[in-house]
Amino acid sequence: MSEFLLDIRDLKLGFKSYAGLIEVLHGISLNIRRGEKVALVGESGSGKSVTARIILGLLQEFSTARISGSVSFEGDDLETQPLSVRQGLRGTKISMIFQDPTSSLNPVYTIGVQFQEVLRRGDVQISAKQAEARAIALLEDVSIPEPERVLASYPFQLSGGMNQRVMIAMALANEPSLLIADEPGTALDVTVQAQTLHLMRDLVERKGTSVLFISHNLGVVREFADRVYVIYKGRLVEHGRTSELFHSPRHPYTKALMAAVPRITGGGIPDIAEATDAYLDPMIDHEAEATS
Amino acid sequence: MSPVVRLLVKRLSISVIVLIGVSMLIFTIARVIPGDPARIALGPNATTEQVEKLRDKLHLDEPIYIQYGYFVRDFAKGDLGVSLYTNRPVTTDIAQFLPATLELVIVAGMFMIGLGIPLGIMSARFRGKAADNIIRVISLLGVSAPSFVWAVILMLLFAFFLPLFPIAGQISDTLPVPQRITGFLLVDSLLDGNFRAFFSALHHIILPAFALALSGIGQAARLTRSNMVETYDKPYIEMAQSFGFPARRIANRYAFRPSLIPSLTIIGLDFAAMLGNAFLVEAVYAWPGLSRYGVQVILRKDLNAIVGTVLVISATFLIVNIIVDLLIAYINPRIRLAERGGS
Repeated sequence: MSEFLLDIRDLKLGFKSYAGLIEVLHGISLNIRRGEKVALVGESGSGKSVTARIILGLLQEFSTARISGSVSFEGDDLETQPLSVRQGLRGTKISMIFQDPTSSLNPVYTIGVQFQEVLRRGDVQISAKQAEARAIALLEDVSIPEPERVLASYPFQLSGGMNQRVMIAMALANEPSLLIADEPGTALDVTVQAQTLHLMRDLVERKGTSVLFISHNLGVVREFADRVYVIYKGRLVEHGRTSELFHSPRHPYTKALMAAVPRITGGGIPDIAEATDAYLDPMIDHEAEATS
Repeated sequence: MSPVVRLLVKRLSISVIVLIGVSMLIFTIARVIPGDPARIALGPNATTEQVEKLRDKLHLDEPIYIQYGYFVRDFAKGDLGVSLYTNRPVTTDIAQFLPATLELVIVAGMFMIGLGIPLGIMSARFRGKAADNIIRVISLLGVSAPSFVWAVILMLLFAFFLPLFPIAGQISDTLPVPQRITGFLLVDSLLDGNFRAFFSALHHIILPAFALALSGIGQAARLTRSNMVETYDKPYIEMAQSFGFPARRIANRYAFRPSLIPSLTIIGLDFAAMLGNAFLVEAVYAWPGLSRYGVQVILRKDLNAIVGTVLVISATFLIVNIIVDLLIAYINPRIRLAERGGS
């Protein structure tokens, strides 16, 4: 088996339109080891979220999407396999957490119904009773008091933080080997966001789940990730261990990104220079340098 | 009081107010349009005294509000007056003709919901693909011609050129009519255990009901599709996809049900509107329903019968609306649980 749980090589994505092919990803390569937490950082529109959706095979269903490169998961190249195989991975081996937990849960079904659907992905035979018992146990894992009441509730009856815990419990319910967290909790209050992130980190560390953490929030990334990839306009610009990258960012874009974070100690909104061509400089890979 | 009961009480009281308004309006309109109902009823050969006597009996010479007072007094006793056209109590006439119309409308409603909504779901699930395009063309076709045009076209195609269905009528002439229990032929023949009559009645109702339903089917399909396409962009659908819920289940459950809430009100109104459209479809298929009666009494300025017919149709409209409101309350947990303060 390969060293990597997920190994993306030279992934390119374009959308066909009347104006021709619009390139969104210009060939990115990234990998995640088992049990590792890797962050993909960049501004909105840089291609973070589409990368996640390609891994899940969600973009492949669009007739306008043009994808090339390879995505290997547990040693198998997914791009050469039929969509049904990827569909089979979703919710079982790979699961995802979204930005806004409340709008990611169906408003007209109870949490219990949706939880059961998720559990059925892992075990088609599961009975309603078993599913409920399992859901209660999983909700207790994410420190939800009165899990029975939560299961009987609709998402709009719960707080955003509570829904986020529910989402985390659902995402980890079938013990996936990869969890993709797409800007988790960005829509929540910072305090709630911090709590749920702690919870998520504890759980994935306990279960040995690998995480692809997609974010634009450098503070969170620094706390959470083992390694960081920085992405800018569909290109990876810098990669390294979290501590290294934060101590000595070398790519002009990474430097600008870090300078852009407002300090709690004051100083106002940071002055940021307009985007320059330097941002498109070749990728700097701290890891590759260390091993070579 | 549970929120659903509260909703019911509120809607019912509003409906009563609407019905009072409708009765006043139609009562006045029927009386101010030109033409003397007594003279029309008695014919050109009647003497002036005879006409005067009938006018007096109908209180036609008194002010309208006094006449309305008489109407309310009789209505409270369940009496809608006597029809000048049939010389029978209006309530008897309506009881005879309404079931055939309701039967037609209900079967048409089943077509509308049973075909329109699944077509809309399919269209939304395969949006942009061939199935979607075909369904969209069909539903646009359904919406773009009125039901009496469809009645004539369907009759020509499937009863005349290709005699799959009977041309007209409610049941085969050679069969004895089943005993009248509810007035609904399909129900009565079943209760009677007379399956030949049942299948004959079923055979007769399909074409007119389908003609009546076609625009509703198109409308329901288009509404369902457009609301579902919007729902497909919601994060909770992406969540369902990313968890690998089967596409069919996402379409039929997780995308359909939230989309049904905005569609349902309009589908309900369309359903009730079929009661009006049934007038022309019934005329084409010689269907012995309320509409033929309604047209006759309007032409003859049969005051009591006009008011009675309009009131029955309005009441049906309101009842359908209440049912739709209750359905929405059932589907939408936000309404159902509103009372509990969202906790």
